[in-house]
Amino acid sequence: MPLFHEIGFVLNGSPIRLSVPVTMTVLEMLRGPLNLTGTKYGCGEGECGACTVLVDGLSLNACILLAVECDGREITSIEGLAADPAAAGLRRAFVEAGAVQCGFCTPGMVVQGKYLLDTRTGTDRAAIARGLEGNLCRCTGYRKVVDAIERAMGSTEGAGGD
Amino acid sequence: MHNSDGSNTAVTVRAYHVPQSVSTATALLAQGEAAVIAGGTDLVPQQRTGSGTWQPVLVSIRRIKALRGVREQAGQLWLGPLTTVSELLCDPLIARYAPVLARAADCFASSQIRNAATLGGNICNASPAGDLLVPLMLLDAEVELSCSRDGVISMRCLPIEEFLVGPGSTQRQPAELLTGIRLPLVDAARIFVFEKFGTRPALDIATVSVGLLAVAAGERLQQVRVALGAVAPVVLRARAAEAVLEGRRLDNEAITAAVAAALEEINPIDDVRASGWYRSELVCNLLTRVLRNAVVS
Amino acid sequence: MTEKHEPVASLIGQRIPKQDAPEKVNGRARYVHDINLPGQLVGKILRSGRLHARILAIDVAAARALPGVHAVITAADVPTQTIGVTRDNPPLKGDKVRCERDEIAAVAAETEELADAALALITVEYEDLPLLLDVAAAREAEAPLIHDDKPGNIALQFDYEHGDVVKGEAESDVVIEDRFGLHYVTHACMGVSGVIADFDDITGNLTLYSNTQVPFLHKREFAEVLELDPNRIRIIQPTIGGGFGSKLDIYPFEPICVYLARAAGRPVKLVFSRAEEFLASPTRQPARVLLRSGCRNDGRLTFRKVDMLLDNGGYTSWGATTPMVMMQTFSSLYRVPHCLYHSTAAYTNNPYAGSFRGYGNLQATFAVEAHMDKLADAIGMDPLEFRLLNAQEAGEVSGQGMHFRSCGFKDCLRTAADRSDYLARRQQNIEQRSTGPVQRGVGMASMLHVGGGAKIYPSDGCGTILKLDDFGHVTILTGASEIGQGSETVLSQLVCEELGLPLTSVTVVNNDTDITPWDVGVHASRTTFIAGNAAVGAARLAKEKILKAAAAATGQPMQELDLRGGGIVQRQDGSTLMTLDKLLRSMHFQDKADLVITSYYYEPPSVHQDDQHKGDVSAAYAWACQVVEVEVDSDTGVVRLLKCTAAHDVGRVINRLGIEGQIEGGIVMGQGYALSEDLAIRDGHCLNPGFRDYKLITAPEVPELDLSFIETMDGEGPRGAKGVGEAPAICVAAAVANAIENATGVRIYQLPFTPENVYRALRAAAHDPPV
Repeated sequence: MPLFHEIGFVLNGSPIRLSVPVTMTVLEMLRGPLNLTGTKYGCGEGECGACTVLVDGLSLNACILLAVECDGREITSIEGLAADPAAAGLRRAFVEAGAVQCGFCTPGMVVQGKYLLDTRTGTDRAAIARGLEGNLCRCTGYRKVVDAIERAMGSTEGAGGD
Repeated sequence: MHNSDGSNTAVTVRAYHVPQSVSTATALLAQGEAAVIAGGTDLVPQQRTGSGTWQPVLVSIRRIKALRGVREQAGQLWLGPLTTVSELLCDPLIARYAPVLARAADCFASSQIRNAATLGGNICNASPAGDLLVPLMLLDAEVELSCSRDGVISMRCLPIEEFLVGPGSTQRQPAELLTGIRLPLVDAARIFVFEKFGTRPALDIATVSVGLLAVAAGERLQQVRVALGAVAPVVLRARAAEAVLEGRRLDNEAITAAVAAALEEINPIDDVRASGWYRSELVCNLLTRVLRNAVVS
Repeated sequence: MTEKHEPVASLIGQRIPKQDAPEKVNGRARYVHDINLPGQLVGKILRSGRLHARILAIDVAAARALPGVHAVITAADVPTQTIGVTRDNPPLKGDKVRCERDEIAAVAAETEELADAALALITVEYEDLPLLLDVAAAREAEAPLIHDDKPGNIALQFDYEHGDVVKGEAESDVVIEDRFGLHYVTHACMGVSGVIADFDDITGNLTLYSNTQVPFLHKREFAEVLELDPNRIRIIQPTIGGGFGSKLDIYPFEPICVYLARAAGRPVKLVFSRAEEFLASPTRQPARVLLRSGCRNDGRLTFRKVDMLLDNGGYTSWGATTPMVMMQTFSSLYRVPHCLYHSTAAYTNNPYAGSFRGYGNLQATFAVEAHMDKLADAIGMDPLEFRLLNAQEAGEVSGQGMHFRSCGFKDCLRTAADRSDYLARRQQNIEQRSTGPVQRGVGMASMLHVGGGAKIYPSDGCGTILKLDDFGHVTILTGASEIGQGSETVLSQLVCEELGLPLTSVTVVNNDTDITPWDVGVHASRTTFIAGNAAVGAARLAKEKILKAAAAATGQPMQELDLRGGGIVQRQDGSTLMTLDKLLRSMHFQDKADLVITSYYYEPPSVHQDDQHKGDVSAAYAWACQVVEVEVDSDTGVVRLLKCTAAHDVGRVINRLGIEGQIEGGIVMGQGYALSEDLAIRDGHCLNPGFRDYKLITAPEVPELDLSFIETMDGEGPRGAKGVGEAPAICVAAAVANAIENATGVRIYQLPFTPENVYRALRAAAHDPPV
């Protein structure tokens, strides 16, 4: 019987308390007991970015982050961004720029895109591409993902407006 | 029992602590069978692939404020072990006094990893290829190790070269906590180069990395430091190469001699990333290039 | 009442966002990994890890006894059916194991931890057998026999001939011969393999949640393997996390999951870990190619003679049939009067290969395009002129019987060359070699691939059912699967264009064999062409029915009416006579209710190849030419891809946004094949089953891309379109090889061009061979 530990954190804007096994990752927590399947398992070792989430505004790989280490922190998953007006422009840019094909990497890309929007302004395409270096994609060749983030960065309202 | 990727959970975590102070943390470590977790970017994947096992006691140090920060103190730059790689990239003191460390931070993994990975974690993981270890070696870094005995905390300081013993192996005793990193501040302007070989800007375990740090006194280099990553069991201070270069004009002859000396010091292995022969070739060519560029600047 | 109507812009050629993009962006798309059925158990497979051994005993008693474990199965517990292209692969191995991934046993348990624990309790006794790891040794008399019924370890052989290569060689002024080595890579789809098997406890019918790319074919094959009635199998295709050909064959994990579900009496979900994905997925077919070609001094190609050895691994999957595509390239990429092709696929204890975007064409093109540059050089002709001289034109029939009705080959060559300044740069690179270690080079390569389906199964068709409701909403039920390539958006465009409806009025249903009509599957870049024509066929039938009713309703002759902007319009001046939805309701609610529901099955007018492999196997063919610019650092061997200028004959652009995405993604996949991806199979074992050491191209490594679409308006394609899914990946590596030669003067004949490989090749060529 694994050791459980109670944690309290804010998930997509709402406070939540949960008892989790100490060695459970945030990815397992989201996809399992919390039934939020938007965050994806790509590799389980922090190499592909499919599991990217925001923790206290920083983008992290949920697959190598222990849930217990998120006690007292704020987690935002793709579901949170889906409901966030501040991310609407970014999401619309992904759709309109053709940045989605099979879509499996897309949640990680969108979350990482939000992180780039929040932390880097006036950025050129090369810097956006560097910002995506931890997000693997097999379908798009990345160009339209960079297009989407560039478009969202350049939009006059920032990333907002639905 | 096995984890989903086959790793053994015969030993599972039986206790999890989040101490708020160094004294509480070291007291926990003193009880034994404990592992420290900071960013978890090495520890957690190692459990998943079965190359490590969880210790019965897991001590999370992320709440210990005394382990954070970057500040000048007494002619040194003090870095908290919880400083993340992202913070190294942006910190103004690092930019001013240890830009080679920021340069290496820029070659580190991905932004998601950089946001979590810590300086202390990278040091204690002691990878032969550790991206941050090469600059730390160049900067004559020292590590502070603290432990408590009978409620009293004692600290010792070790040069990083002594601290790193072998692949994944350090001088840290199980009851010790890495509580600080010290970099001597140097008055003179220094030239630095850090080159990590690869086809990607980052997201690569280094096949070979080369670092140079020196004071440029006219056309001569002084206080030369040369460090090489992924070509020996630990990140290597290429002292023979340094000796060739110290106080000397950087002409072709000096560069050739220095590179030859460095090649004698390394012991690269064959692995899935590269052959030992190729690593030697890279050291030769990259170090030559690094030294030639040092001349130019 | 009439209204002046503004002309409505055509949907064809526009930039249309993918219909399922919003749900994917919101994290709401449900992949197989995200689906959980009530009562579901976790399935896991025990793999041998051993390369060649007889299985003496398997002891599952302890595993079965573990509480929470509901089923443990071995070969002894399941039907003795085999799967795979030549049916040589038992899902669970009973007598021996033949490669690292071999499946020994499987468990279904309540949790992942319990499933892992059960696997750990299974003990297997083996008797090791000698290993066969080098395919070159496979046919020798002393070689270990991998399958008892396959003497000489021969899996499949192909022979093809047109003309007479002896005559061709005699006519040649230049003859060259080279060996090429093509390596193992893997699909590395971002979504790992997974399947859910669910038997209905009352009817006993099976529902499979599977990411198969060929659901209707698999329905039939599963029925055989599982000894079930095929009409009691339903395949539902969840959103897929990438295909690229990896899901064209049945692989052991799927029948195993079904056997587990049957044994446990509960639904079972079986999902790979990423390491397992690398270890157990089919690879791209590796190949050793001996190519001998010739030409005359006037530049005309004379012959190609090919001898190919393919490592078939432990079992036969689609990789062994890639010669069927490779011979098309050798026989028909450029005009070649004489061609002889032979390939042997032989068993070894290495991993086995499946189908992978391009299906052998990358390997064949790599050899052909190297020789195009070398032959041109040998006769002193510039490589563009040499290619143009031998490039086919519309109306030609190749030696293999392929009719090139629409052909933009020369346009592709000229466009790619012009836009990249190919000739001038190439010359400049040769004349002005830089003094430092970094050199630039440009290289060109072309490709030919089927663009109108491929008649390799009894039917190459696709069915569509179209339903219009009372409000003008159209539902397209198509057999064609969406695997991320944007087929549902293209089909929507084609249908809405016919019916004059906005794209907001369409639903596509494409993922349930109980609902959709038959389609052979997503392969051979066929979906836009075949499914598109099926959809257009159904739409035209619907349009005819509607206009007939409209004629009666308006008193206007049918031929003067059209459907535009959601209404019935006067064809000549575009004025709206009535809205479509009003007409539909009137058709429905009259005395003889007439709903607009139509169906159409499109079978392309291609033919099956004869037993000489000759015939017009596709209804259309596609070409592309790519020019790449590289930078080679001879100090490190690093090759950077700076730019790719691509010109693709696509027939007609239907969705400009979608087609760009396909081309960009394909080029980057080709870039990975050329430069960074290398599945390290050493002594039969995969040493890099993870993204840390299997290097996909990342965002900062993507080159500058310049894309041109050559619209040759194919007569058979929907609105003139041809298939494009595989094309962009096919000639990148060949172009890079030519570019490296331009940069360094050194031609490298083996992939991949990883830094160490390139460094060694450059050193060897400089007569300074590696230690």
